[in-house]
Amino acid sequence: MKKKHFAIGISAIGIASLALTACSSGDTGAASEEARGPITIWYSNNAQEVQWGQATVDAWNAEHPDEQVKGQEIPAGKSGVEVIGAAIVAGTTPCLVFNNLPAATGQFQKQGGLVDLSSFPDGDSYIEARSGAASADQYRSADGDFYQLPWKSNPVMIFYNKDLFAKAGLDPENPNLSTYDEFLDSARAIVSSGVAPYAIYPSPTSEFFQPNFDFLPLYAAETGTSIIEDEVATIDSQAGLDVAEFWRTIYAEDLAGKEPAQADSFANGQSAMAIVGPWAIPVYEGKVNWGSVPVPTKDGTAPEQTYTFPDAKSVGMYTSCKNQGTAWDFLKFATSVEQDGKLLEATGQMPIRAGLSTEYASYFEEHPAYVAFASQSERTVDDPTGPNTIATLQTLRDFYTKAVISGEGDLQAELSQAADDLTAEWTRK
Amino acid sequence: MSSSSIHAAAAAGATRRPAQPDAHGTRRRRLRKVLGPHPLGWLFSAPFLVFIAAIFAYPLGFAIYISFHDYFFTAPGVVVDQPFVGFDNYVRVFTDPKVLQSLGNIAIFVLINVPLTVVLSLVLAAALNSVVRFRTFLRVSYYVPYVTASVAVVGVWLFLFSGNGLVNQILGPLAPEPSWLSNASLAMPTIAFFVTWKELGFYILLYLAALQNVPKDLYEAAAMDGAGKVRSFFTVTVPGVRPATVLVLLLSTITGANLFTEPYLLTSGGGPNGASASPVLVMYQEGIEQGHPGYASAIGIVLVIAVLLIAFLQYRFAGGKER
Amino acid sequence: MSRTVPRRRRSTTAVSLTRTQAVVRGSVLALGAIAFLFPFYYMLIGSLQAEPDTSIAGAFPDPTNLTLGNYAAIDSRIDLWSGLVNSGIFTGGVLLCTVVFGMLAGYALAIMRWTGRGATFALTLLIQIVPFQLLLIPLYVLITRSYGLGDTYLGMILPFAINATAVIIFRQYFLQIPGELFDAARIDGAGEIGLLWRIAVPLVRPALVTVVLLTFIGPWNSYLWPFLVTKEAGMQPLAVSLANYISNVAASTANPFGATLAGAVVLAAPVVVLFIVFQRYFISTDIGSGVKG
Repeated sequence: MKKKHFAIGISAIGIASLALTACSSGDTGAASEEARGPITIWYSNNAQEVQWGQATVDAWNAEHPDEQVKGQEIPAGKSGVEVIGAAIVAGTTPCLVFNNLPAATGQFQKQGGLVDLSSFPDGDSYIEARSGAASADQYRSADGDFYQLPWKSNPVMIFYNKDLFAKAGLDPENPNLSTYDEFLDSARAIVSSGVAPYAIYPSPTSEFFQPNFDFLPLYAAETGTSIIEDEVATIDSQAGLDVAEFWRTIYAEDLAGKEPAQADSFANGQSAMAIVGPWAIPVYEGKVNWGSVPVPTKDGTAPEQTYTFPDAKSVGMYTSCKNQGTAWDFLKFATSVEQDGKLLEATGQMPIRAGLSTEYASYFEEHPAYVAFASQSERTVDDPTGPNTIATLQTLRDFYTKAVISGEGDLQAELSQAADDLTAEWTRK
Repeated sequence: MSSSSIHAAAAAGATRRPAQPDAHGTRRRRLRKVLGPHPLGWLFSAPFLVFIAAIFAYPLGFAIYISFHDYFFTAPGVVVDQPFVGFDNYVRVFTDPKVLQSLGNIAIFVLINVPLTVVLSLVLAAALNSVVRFRTFLRVSYYVPYVTASVAVVGVWLFLFSGNGLVNQILGPLAPEPSWLSNASLAMPTIAFFVTWKELGFYILLYLAALQNVPKDLYEAAAMDGAGKVRSFFTVTVPGVRPATVLVLLLSTITGANLFTEPYLLTSGGGPNGASASPVLVMYQEGIEQGHPGYASAIGIVLVIAVLLIAFLQYRFAGGKER
Repeated sequence: MSRTVPRRRRSTTAVSLTRTQAVVRGSVLALGAIAFLFPFYYMLIGSLQAEPDTSIAGAFPDPTNLTLGNYAAIDSRIDLWSGLVNSGIFTGGVLLCTVVFGMLAGYALAIMRWTGRGATFALTLLIQIVPFQLLLIPLYVLITRSYGLGDTYLGMILPFAINATAVIIFRQYFLQIPGELFDAARIDGAGEIGLLWRIAVPLVRPALVTVVLLTFIGPWNSYLWPFLVTKEAGMQPLAVSLANYISNVAASTANPFGATLAGAVVLAAPVVVLFIVFQRYFISTDIGSGVKG
């Protein structure tokens, strides 16, 4: 009896679903790069960016009564990728999202969700003029076009707690953190002196974006290249091994925490260093007397030559947008010299703009702490852009949590295996 | 939608009962022959049938369809090549170490969670059933975790079980290292324990109800045979609530197999080293984060078939004599 | 409601425990209650702390370390009232659909004989087994793209509209009603709708409370679906905005520990209060038939 129920049930499902698939719709309204009118945009949900976003929208709306912009906080989950991905499929994306993860761009592009900004007559020229051709180039997709406007970066550096360093007998003004050996020695001194339970505390969790804050900044500093070049993973190299070995030592000697931190461990003194971008400066304000240095390299690269991960956010225009003309105009307005300056002022994050330090010289005079980040923002390596970026990063993360954080297996063998897996994942159909 | 289901069911020759004699003409009789003696049943169930078709059958059929394709969800009107790939996605499911690991994890989960749930809920329900004082208070306290959102209680558990959280503070030198949720061999047991705690109220409720149906003269008879309270618990109560036990077994296995929220929130995506990843979590990551819905659907379908199989076996061997 | 019968039965089984047995039983129950309630107590204490204290002393209130600041922080960031209203509409819609349509379907599945009844019941069981995440994206496309119901209450409600468990519970209740009642009424010339309204519905009234409470929990606490469907902050149910607050905003507040726990308390409080208020109707026997099968 029961079996029969199920058989009938399954066949009913089959037929009902056939009937439904047959009448699924596929209409799209005509959108044009000329069309103008009201648009909706999303911006990030942290307090400073909300403030900037609202002010920018208000400034625009005051001058454009016929092309009103409605700004909203992005309804973000853990990374925002799910929300935007689902909204693309449903055709419910806003015109612009001022918080795109460059790693997700390839996937959104493959979904047909993103407008090719290079197809605007002044698309390429605007992006290149603003960001500088060299730093803009790494945000081009495989077909050579821009499906995102590289907007702002938070170049990752090493923050260190001057007071804790002094207590541990380390030089708080010129800390020895430039080579791996120096870094490890300083880290050991901090932990063995007991001034903090941990020397540094990158998040040890498994989300796909976590490599951006441990493996990738150091790999960029070591090589200046991406983990994928010409469709092949590059990490199975001496540089890759050195970076992995460095972090493995950190974890093996318990210089970093292996369990998810419940709060910002640098802010509350649980760790003496952090690997993070300038967005965190307001968080440390009044809590930590900090300094910053570039991420370490094996042999100690000079700061003005050290690369890092930019932790950049881009702006994407979505194909569901009807008034793409207005959207493009607003995008240029929101990334103009004036608005970029306001962004810098409000958030301390670096607009990806050529000549940043000279353009906003007065700001950097008033905020000397940010100077190093402005300089660092010129030397960055972002995640590769492709339809499988997220899956590739997840694969890298899985290798890392196992072989580096937990220290399981032979590192060289695991790394070679990971490189093969990365290539396979990157080229997966 | 519903009309196609009608044909489907009719074509499949579903339970047909003899039509009642009716004098209102052949047309009506033929209708009854197709629809059954109470055609109004269709009308009463129509909203539910439409709901099943639209909210359940259609997406499920669609998921089955895409599991055989190299599928990709696109924006409206965008066409990309989505070739038929046969069983490729399914072959991958059985060779992907991540999926295999997650299946092993869920086995650990079920092995801890299900027996714990059955034993604890029965014992607490039996105790609760016989107590007179504080009953309302106790009942409320048992149900409260069940009615509260996971997102809310997960926060507290994170703090309780973190490295320097209260649990480890109390355990002192006995605290595990690394701590519970970041310990590869303790993460899944901790999650299993959490889920048991969270869902127990519901199962206590089921058992409390079942206990009302155990005839009290059986207890009296057992008492006359000289059985103590403990023995009559095993000789009368346990057999008496057997249908409920089958139900608890089935339901806790099903919810266990579909575990998602807890690893998603408690261990930030199945850490450490995927030791707490569940199949549904892997499916979510592949399908929604990484853009491989074809593969994700294959994982889901395999899971559904496995759960159906296990549920069927449990039903057979736990001796569910329900209708 | 029929509370007297189970009461009497319970009291007969409650007698004649030895003293030791009573003590054991009492301690088992008390231990259970502590294990279930302590995390909630800790949630409340933690949410009131100005500075997080994870030591054992932190589990007790310390007057010098108490603040409502964590709650004020939430209130300044989230429109709690609109979240509550959205949750209410969302949950209310689901309850209405489940009670009306679920009862009709349960009645048809239990009392009426029609072709396809078995298949429908099999599907109702199958729904319990399939993980929602498998259906998520197809469903999302269907509801937002095909029906254009993104950012609407209807779009939120639809996937939850008729709780399949509720249908099963209704069916079991209707099955318990003696068939002679219906036969007699049919002979009197009552139509099916009359049967349902005059005989069946009054008899299954106890099932209503069970169904309402079981169904209520789903939409009130659900996060993933309403989160995907609502892009407008003004449309989000409380669970969504608070979950977002807990996972995104709390970490950047001065006291993330307290902020997270305060968010948890605000999320848990309404449903716990409602449950305590209504629990006396939530008599265990109500669900009895659902188990008896």
